[in-house]
Amino acid sequence: MSESSEHSADDELTPAELIARLEEAWMNEKFSPELLENKSEIVECVMEQLIHMEENLQRVKKGDIKASVHRMEIDRIRFVLSSYLRSRLQKIEKYFPHVLEKEKSRAASDPSFLSPEEFAFAKEYLANTETYLKAVALRHMPPNLQTVDILKAVPEPPLDSFVFLRVRERQENILIEPETDEQREYVTDLEEGAELLQDFQSCETS
Amino acid sequence: MDPSEVEFVAEKEMVTVIPNFSLDRIYLIGSATCRTNVPHMYRSADGYLCVQGDLGPFNPGLPVNVPVWLALNLKQRQKCRIVPPEWMDVEKLEEIREQERKEDMFTPMPSPHYMELTKLLLNHASDNIPRADEIRTLVKDIWDTRVAKLRLSADSFVTQQEAHAKLDNLTLMEINTSRMFLLESLNCMYKLRTNLQHHGGTAKGQEY
Repeated sequence: MSESSEHSADDELTPAELIARLEEAWMNEKFSPELLENKSEIVECVMEQLIHMEENLQRVKKGDIKASVHRMEIDRIRFVLSSYLRSRLQKIEKYFPHVLEKEKSRAASDPSFLSPEEFAFAKEYLANTETYLKAVALRHMPPNLQTVDILKAVPEPPLDSFVFLRVRERQENILIEPETDEQREYVTDLEEGAELLQDFQSCETS
Repeated sequence: MDPSEVEFVAEKEMVTVIPNFSLDRIYLIGSATCRTNVPHMYRSADGYLCVQGDLGPFNPGLPVNVPVWLALNLKQRQKCRIVPPEWMDVEKLEEIREQERKEDMFTPMPSPHYMELTKLLLNHASDNIPRADEIRTLVKDIWDTRVAKLRLSADSFVTQQEAHAKLDNLTLMEINTSRMFLLESLNCMYKLRTNLQHHGGTAKGQEY
């Protein structure tokens, strides 16, 4: 059995690093107000690892302590993965027209925000919502009011909401937008390891 | 985030146990000890395709480091004894408590998940931890002091309309207790303020 081919599938990431990245993506997706970039490579690699482990466990006799330990770990990783995918789906459902708009307007070379399955899901959701609105309400309205602008009807993701964040590398001169006329813009330096509370918009640009 | 999810994250911390069974090495996918090891995959003697990291080998009476989720499971199956982490000691915790009460800012905690670990270990393994009740009270005192400080600083954040705050040394569990309320109320106030500033501007994010 060639081990090196399985090794290269990890793309020089140790499995521990892969799981750590998955957990980081999970926490980031949970706490950010808008849909973040799709980490499909991580998802695929983790699925591969899980399938491998599952296959191994099928082959070994039941009742083994080792098997139960491996099974527990598989369950934990599976939970993180499902929770990650679930929070992405929730955001897609909440902000579906904006998500599709963003995907349409990105350059071909930029990484995509949605995986192919998520994209198909979003389009279906849009089509279903439009059909539903038409069937339930719109067709009973006078003819000149029968269209609805979905982009305006669904609220945009609140990019100004506050988030807690942890700084990993030192950043300089982060601009904090003023909220009132009395305050001025100011710049701060972010030290490594600091945990802050500030609005998402200024985090995005930094 | 749900408190049980915070506990899930805390369960990855390592703790020492003393097993009463023997087993050779187990290789987990996401072992926390192995962040610096170079990965390699190979087939072990009993046919497992081992991926990364190692736990064990387990020998009766010899201490070994395992993640908390595994330690609790083994303890429940009565296969091991849990050794309390070195910070879970009455004198140390009293010192930490005094330090926390003196300082205005948050002092560094011995573990980023001290609250969850205390609760888990004291609930499942209090027979392995000396003076468990005192430890429970001490940790609760430290927690109360820190959460009170957090409430005060959240209050001043809101009244002085700050745009950002620095919160070093806070643990995830503490942040989580006030996360939903604080963030939602800050967002609400932000919306009210910016609408005052921009009369007639397009109001984004209308929530119903």
